[in-house]
Parts: sequence; C-alpha cells; structure tokens
Amino acid sequence: MSLMQIINRSLRRKVTMLVLATTVSALALSGLALILYDLRSYERLSTADLTTQGEVLARATAPALTFSDPRTAEKDLSVMQVRPRVRAAAVYDRDGNLFASYTQPGTAAEPFPRHAEPTGVGISRGEIQIFRPIVENGEPIGSVYLRAAYDPWTRLFDYMTIIGLVMLVSLGAATLISARLQSAVTAPVLDVARVSREVMERRDYSQRVRKTTEDEIGQLVDSFNAMLAEVGRRSDALRDADQRKDEFLATLAHELRNPLAPLRNALEILRIAGSDPEKARVAREMMARQLSQMVRLVDDLLDVSRITTGKLAVRKSVIDLQGPLRDAVETVRPFIEARNHTLQLDMPREPIPVEGDRTRLAQVFSNLLNNAAKYTMPGGRIVMSARMDAREAVVSVQDNGIGLDPASISRIFEMFMQVDRSLERSQAGLGVGLTLSRRLVDLHGGSVEAKSAGTGKGSEFVVRLPLSLARLTDGEVVVAEEAPRRAARRILLADDNVDFVTSLGELLAARGHDVRIAHDGAAALETAAEFSPDIAFVDIGMPKVHGYEVARRIRAEPGTASCVLVAVTGWGQENDRRRAREAGFDRHLVKPVDPEEIEAILASY
Amino acid sequence: MDALTARLRPALLGAALTMLSCMAQAQQASEAAVKAAFLYKFPGYIEWPAESFPTTETPFVIGVVGADEVAVELEKLVPGRAIGARRIAIRRLREGDSPRGVHILFIGRLDAAATRTLVRTAHAHLGTLTVTESERGLEMGAAINFVAYEDRVAFEVSLDNAERTGLRISSRMLAVARRVVPRG
Repeated sequence: MSLMQIINRSLRRKVTMLVLATTVSALALSGLALILYDLRSYERLSTADLTTQGEVLARATAPALTFSDPRTAEKDLSVMQVRPRVRAAAVYDRDGNLFASYTQPGTAAEPFPRHAEPTGVGISRGEIQIFRPIVENGEPIGSVYLRAAYDPWTRLFDYMTIIGLVMLVSLGAATLISARLQSAVTAPVLDVARVSREVMERRDYSQRVRKTTEDEIGQLVDSFNAMLAEVGRRSDALRDADQRKDEFLATLAHELRNPLAPLRNALEILRIAGSDPEKARVAREMMARQLSQMVRLVDDLLDVSRITTGKLAVRKSVIDLQGPLRDAVETVRPFIEARNHTLQLDMPREPIPVEGDRTRLAQVFSNLLNNAAKYTMPGGRIVMSARMDAREAVVSVQDNGIGLDPASISRIFEMFMQVDRSLERSQAGLGVGLTLSRRLVDLHGGSVEAKSAGTGKGSEFVVRLPLSLARLTDGEVVVAEEAPRRAARRILLADDNVDFVTSLGELLAARGHDVRIAHDGAAALETAAEFSPDIAFVDIGMPKVHGYEVARRIRAEPGTASCVLVAVTGWGQENDRRRAREAGFDRHLVKPVDPEEIEAILASY
Repeated sequence: MDALTARLRPALLGAALTMLSCMAQAQQASEAAVKAAFLYKFPGYIEWPAESFPTTETPFVIGVVGADEVAVELEKLVPGRAIGARRIAIRRLREGDSPRGVHILFIGRLDAAATRTLVRTAHAHLGTLTVTESERGLEMGAAINFVAYEDRVAFEVSLDNAERTGLRISSRMLAVARRVVPRG
C-alpha cells in the first residue's frame, strides 16, 4: 500500500467520522431533549385535551340530564366514537347516580364508578380519567366522566422510531457531504505528498505544489513550497561547500607535495657534494625555505581545523599595534621584494594601544600583505597605513592589483575561496587566509572589510580594532624588545612522539642544556625523581600515566616541587588551561611546539 | 379479569337494585313533581320577547289551570329559586281567567274545547308559553305538550305554535324533545 493510499484512506475516514459524529450527536441530543420535553408536556396536554372534551360533553348532555332523558344523553356521549383514544364516557345526575354511559367499541367493558366523584384528574395503569361538573343555567345538575388511554411509552417508542429514521437519512446525507469535504482536503494534501515523493526521488528542489485554496491547506502548501525553496538553497550551498572542500583537498595535496621534490633534490645534492661547502649551504638554505613553507601550510591547516571546531583562541593583553604591524611587514617583505613591488608604510608616530594577541594580529596583517603581493602583477604598489579614530584603530592594506568583481566581494571571506585559480600553484596557498583573518579580527572585537572599484582596479582591505582604554605600559614593550638570556638548564622532555622529542632534545642539548627524555608518564616520573629538572615539558596525552597526574606527583615530591612545569597539549581552550593550572602546571603550550617558544620560556626563568 | 368480575358482581348487583327502587319511587311519587320541575327548567332554553318583562322587577309568572297537583309541586319547588335573576310567581287560574302577564301557562287535562279556548286566549298577546298534557295538545295550539314515553315524562314541541307567540326555543332543548313540529 502506498503512502498516498494510507493518507487518503485515513484522512477520508477521519473526515467521515467527524461529520458522522457531529450529525449523530446533534441528532441524538436534540432528539433526547425533544422526547424529554414531550414526555413532560404529554400529561399536561392529555389532561387539557380530556378536560376540553369533558366540557363539550357536559354542555351537550345538559338538556338531556335536565329533562331526564338518558337515551339522548347516551346519544350525546356516543359522539366520542370519533375519538378512539377515549375508552369510556358517562353522565351522572345531581345525586351522583349513573345517568347515561358510553363504551368505545373494541375496548374491554370496564365498570364505571358507581358514584360520581369530585371534579378532578386521575392517572393510573395506562389510563387517564376525569370528572367534570355539568352546570346549566348556573345550577350544577350532574357530572360527566371520561376515561382515555394514557400511554407515554407507545408515544416514546413512536418518537424513537421517527428519530431513528431521521438519523438514518441524516447519516446518508452526512456521508455524502463528508465525501465532498474529504476530497477538498485530501486533494491538496495528496499533491503535497506527490511532490515531496518526486523531490525525494529526483532531488529536484525546483518543484512546487500548486496552491488552490486560501485556507489552512493553502497555508500548508505555502509553507511546504517555502520549505522546498529553503532545502533547495541549502542543498546548493552544501554542494558548493563540498566542491570547495574537494578543490581545497586537491590544492592541499599539491601544496604539500610541492616542497617535497626540492627537499629530496637538496638531500641528494648534500649526499653527492658533501665536500663542497658552498653547494651544501645552498642546499640547506633551500631545504629550510621549503620546510618553512610546509610548516606554514600545516599551521594554516591546523588553524582551519580550529576554526571549524570553534577552538581558535587568542590570548589578549594590552599591546602597541605597531608591533604586529612591524612583524607582518618583516614576514612578508622577502616575498614583496621577490615580486618587485614597492611597499609604502604610513604609520603614526605614537603607539596604538589595543587589546590583542601580538602573534595572531601579525598573522592577520601578514595575510593581507601576502594577498596584496600575490594578487598584484609584479612591480606593483602596496600601501599599508594605520591611523586612530576616537575609538578605533584603522589599518588599511591597499594594492593596484587584479582587484575584485562586486559579486565576489561578499564571498571573499568564505572558507577555501580563491579569487583567481589561474595563479601559479606555488603562489596559490590554501584559500583560508582571509577566513582566518576575519575570524581572528572577530575574536578581537573588530571588523575587516574588502573594497574594490572592480576587476583590474586594485583592492583595499580595512581592519578596524577597538582601541584599548588601558594605558600602555613601557615594561611590556621593553620585554618584547628584550633579547633572550642564555643559561644552561636541566630539562625534562616527556612525550610519546619519539621523533619529535628526540630531535627537540638534540636541539636543546646543542644549545648547551642538560636534557633527559621520557616516552611515557611512568618513565617521566622516574626520570624526574633522579634528575631533579629545572624545567619539565610534559605532554598531557601520554601512555601509562597522563600528564596531569605526572604534574601532580612531581609537585608532590619535595625534591621536584620547585620544578617549572610546562603542559604541552593539542588544545588551547580556557578550560584546558584551567585544568592544567589546577594540576600544578606553570605554563601551557599548544602543539605544534616551536623550538623558539621553548627557548622563550627557558629564557624567562 | 374473571376474578375481578367476580369480586365486583355483588357491588354491581347492589347498585342496580338501589337504582331500580329509586326509579320506582320517583315514578310513583312524582309525575306531577317531574312536570313541575320541567316547567321550572323550560325557561333555561327559551327566549321571551323583551316586552314580556316591562321592568327588571317583573317576576316570572307560571300560571296553572286544571292541574292542582302540579301547582302544589311548583309551590313546593319555587321557594329560594329564581329564573335568571327573577323571582318566580305561581298563579292558579280558572277557566275564563285572563292569562295576561303569565309567561308559562300550564293547562291540565281539560276537555279539548276548553283547552283550545285557553290556548287561543293566551295567544291573543305575545309572550305566553302554552304547555299542555293532552294527547293532541300541539294540534290544539300548545307550544309544548307533555307525553309519557317508556314510563317517564317526555315532551314534544311545536316550533310553529311557539313562534306565533314570539318565543324562541333553543335547539339544545329540541334535541331532547320526543317530537318537534317544525315551522310553517
């Protein structure tokens, strides 16, 4: 049985049931009320009716009674044969003696009261009987007696029969009406069902149900159509995003593959020309360049994953915005020079106080500068300017490059969006720079905006950041400028990534530090107990004993209680930091760890 | 049903016996009394011309000729009664007395000639209902005539004779009459 048949059948049944139930209950209620009313009025009406007939008989039989003529009186009484309900009639004289009587043919001849009784009505055993006085010329001369059938139950039965018949006819009519009604209701619903099935089968969201009525069904059709439109839009968007992700993956593979060939070549050069220091230097420099390119790519990739999981975090303090701007220029300058662009800097003299993360802000501006350099033909001109409004710091990066067409301006900040795919692959990047930049600026409470007069007319990116109300302390600036001190430290590195921890250990040992390495939590505790390190870098996700527990136990041992503990985790959320603090860690590093970060920490203790 | 009948039988029998004895007594005691009562009841069904009652105080006069028992019964019946709002007066008349002012004139069993004379005299002016108890009373000009029927007193009516004296008799009374002689 198809879905439509089920809907059709059950709806039809519901509508029919509704109409029938309404009809039956209305009829039953009104019938009941009618019967109750009738039973109440039946007695009153019977009495009144019989009384009237008694009066008529009294008047008719008065002369016969007056002139003692029982035969005439009987003749007068016999008119009751036209009232079959009356079973017996009689006239009594002034002294209450039976004067004349009449019994309806076909009724059992029951005895008449021997004497006249006082005027009144009596009901008993299915009969009603009355006595009425006969008054002639103002003088009571006798009384008339009437007895009639009194049978409310027969009447009730008759009523029931009538109501039953009416109900049958009404139910027939109701069934017809409900058949009409249900087609008015189900036809559009079936239409909706048909269209939804077709949409499911063909994935064609452009279909619409024709609206035929303005009632609730019409509203249903409208909402259904609106829903289809929305689903269609989302489906397109999903397909779009999916396509962009595919392109991103292709780009990513390409980008990751690109540096590998030069690296392999350089290794080969090193092997062949081991004795030629000049060739070896060139090869090492090439390897360093390619490696840093790969590191940048992987960093971007990590940031992408942080954006999509909502775990991108910034560590804010009051800084001078000139710092990250300078950092960004230093980072991108080699690329700008390689493309033969001229870079003009337009900075105010005084510091620009903002609350921000120096590294992340530098990332934002280097992204913008990098884009400007990338999307401008060699020999172009790039202007970076900064100024202060009453409340905001405004940084603009302007170029005379390929520009943006108006349609793509709104989408330029979307993930994996790249304006021009025809650019050389080596320049392409992953298409996440602007997305990341905007997210970072958002996290700083600011905004970033793209402007362009059109394709080929250059573009401008404007970043606005709220100015900090706090005064910039000289000390922080000084610390940022301070050169790190160098001193030999006793260092414990605990991490289950053997290659990473071994190479890092070699590096630190080469710089004169005393380094011990452990690959799991238990080994880390053993080493810490015998080695008493100045500083321990502890990975949180280690086998045997996890990092938090290691930290607690190191803190608990008197020999190692004063050790500086640095947590190394994959996640930098405030929650993770708090947990690390509670376990006894002094610092917190988020993977991937840069040797320079470790050097900075070593220098600060 | 049989049980009921059986139980009722003595009661019915008693009732029938009582009724029979009453009727016998009435018949014996009061042919005159019944006639007196009828005379008293006739006015309830008859309309007199307005000039028969010059004032509101004018009594209703029933005259009796040649029927002393009836006159006696009437005199017994009348006290404390009225016809409409009128006092009832019984007047015994002799043959030859003027029946003027009499509203009902009852003529006893006189000979035919005397009866005719009395009726004629009574009909000389309007407003006198003549009632006889002779076999051919209506033919002798009376408006109402008592007859015996199945051992009881009945009456017959001549509308012709009644209307000649300006009287109108109710059809309800005619329904009880043994015989009605129509107009014309």
